[in-house]
Amino acid sequence: MSLLEVSGLTVGVEHSPHALLRDVDFTVEAGQIMGLVGESGSGKTMSALAIMDLLPAGIERRAGTVRLDGRDLVAQDRETVDRNANDMTMIFQHPRSALNPTMRVGRQIGRALEINQDMGRAAARSRATEMLNHVGIPGADRVARAYPHQLSGGMCQRVMIAMALACRPRVLIADEPTTALDVTIQAQIFDLINDLVEETGCGVLFITHDLGAIAEMCDRVTVLYGGQVMETGDVRQVFTDSRHPYTQFLFDAVVREADPSVEEKDVNFALQGCRFGHRCPYAFDACAEFPLLREVDTGHLTSCFLHQKENALGSA
Amino acid sequence: MALLEVRDLHKSFGHGRTLTPAVRGVDLEVDRGETLGLVGESGCGKTTLGRVVVGLQEPSSGAIYFDGELLDGKMSRPEYRRRVQMVFQHPAQSLNRRMRVDTTLAEPLRLLKVAPRDEVAGRIDEVMRLVGMGPDYLKRRPGQLSGGQQQRIAIARALMPGPDLVVLDEPTSSLDQSVRGRIIALLRSIQEEQDVAYVFISHDLSTVRRIADRVAVMYLGRIVEIAPTEQVFKDPQHPYTKALLSAVPSMDLDNRGSRIILAGETPSPSDVPVGCSFQDRCPLVHERCGLEEPRLVSLGDGRKVECFAVTDPN
Repeated sequence: MSLLEVSGLTVGVEHSPHALLRDVDFTVEAGQIMGLVGESGSGKTMSALAIMDLLPAGIERRAGTVRLDGRDLVAQDRETVDRNANDMTMIFQHPRSALNPTMRVGRQIGRALEINQDMGRAAARSRATEMLNHVGIPGADRVARAYPHQLSGGMCQRVMIAMALACRPRVLIADEPTTALDVTIQAQIFDLINDLVEETGCGVLFITHDLGAIAEMCDRVTVLYGGQVMETGDVRQVFTDSRHPYTQFLFDAVVREADPSVEEKDVNFALQGCRFGHRCPYAFDACAEFPLLREVDTGHLTSCFLHQKENALGSA
Repeated sequence: MALLEVRDLHKSFGHGRTLTPAVRGVDLEVDRGETLGLVGESGCGKTTLGRVVVGLQEPSSGAIYFDGELLDGKMSRPEYRRRVQMVFQHPAQSLNRRMRVDTTLAEPLRLLKVAPRDEVAGRIDEVMRLVGMGPDYLKRRPGQLSGGQQQRIAIARALMPGPDLVVLDEPTSSLDQSVRGRIIALLRSIQEEQDVAYVFISHDLSTVRRIADRVAVMYLGRIVEIAPTEQVFKDPQHPYTKALLSAVPSMDLDNRGSRIILAGETPSPSDVPVGCSFQDRCPLVHERCGLEEPRLVSLGDGRKVECFAVTDPN
């Protein structure tokens, strides 16, 4: 059984037929890092928010389950979901805007402990300082008394990570944790996340648009496009033997800078069929149907009829 | 003779206790038709250096020679402004959104009075051809263009007066990956045709590698290494350059975990340590680094490095 299992997750705008996420499936294993990669607007952050039950107003979850250790999180009532901060936490892309600007950072971390772990104020304070120390902040005592605006971006992101890890969650969701940071600071944060996985055995959902970051950090990867999972599998499988035309295109864009040939086809792919259909050079009749994820190799799944056709032809 | 020569350039902001040196003694040359990449992390002074070169900011001290002539308070002269142009990071903000493309492009010629009015239309056509955009875009306003198209118009505007040098400040950082590639290809073809020199400022090392002939690496207001592009990427000398390059995530699955992790963060520019500015984070630091300031020393093959451990190992 996987630590975190997302299946059939479908999210849309209220009163609109359009889906932002369609039938999204993936799993996160304990002690592993699962990468979630895609272009802007592909639904990476929306997936994370749906898992955390933090969808903005006007966006609704239409179907799907989120299971932590087999326990269905979606079916539970609101109060139980809140208490799951001990199970699952998230670090956001812009640390400075995710922190409370009017509260000293030590206190912010302390609050997480008081609420989720019934700690007393004094105990929470010393544990907060301990956590800051733990994420490599020099002079943790001093930093605990600082406000977010007094800290650099890299420092704020460490504070976010300290806060997220204070309750020792089983799953950590990192939504583009280093996009706003310089590369040398990014390397430090990556190192920190790797150490934490090794040390605590937590599972990480690592969201990024950077394929290089996926190659550096992740064990497995899920590729999203238009709210649909295109391909999922071991990083090595997906990087060296990508099966979905979109994944291949994504690698071309980064590695070989190819120009995608955009051809309009008459199916309204936004409402039905494969989301990559209108840009896919191989699209054929079957693509007007929604392609489900199918295994092409052990643990390597892709949602493309091309492979199902090939397989069908192969077996015929 | 170099087209642009910068000697011991300093630029500080504020005064007294708030004095913040952004550029601290930079020497560099840019040749005609060449691209110099200027890389470094946020706050290293690369943008300030670019703005001083263009004349948007007065240097605090130091000398700038353009085409052999010392520019001493002459930077606001139309002649210099015609020959040195700038392209900014966010095209949507650097274009006047109420102005049509044709008016935007005519503006530099009108202000600098470098071309008679009847030649303006011809020049606009030529520049639009250079940036690969058809005449039907001329009547549009920036809001009717995509980010990539806007940046092409910003480049076209910079080319209008026929400059010898264009300073490009993060021109592709706000664009998507695929658009980025096209802008780089465009800049290269313009350079071949017009023999214009670029100073290409970016924090994105892979983009710089694709366009620059030489690369200067900045740290805390100083150039710590300057060398031909491939030498910088294949055989970096300065410990900061090495760490910076190794920190860029690579797609190579067989080379995981080979990053050099630097300790700490870049010190504040208002609180630079005595001696080498990189000493607090440097793996090669020794006693001398805290006593003496290293200087850029030539390694003899077009490479210059500012590090005692590299240039003076004993």
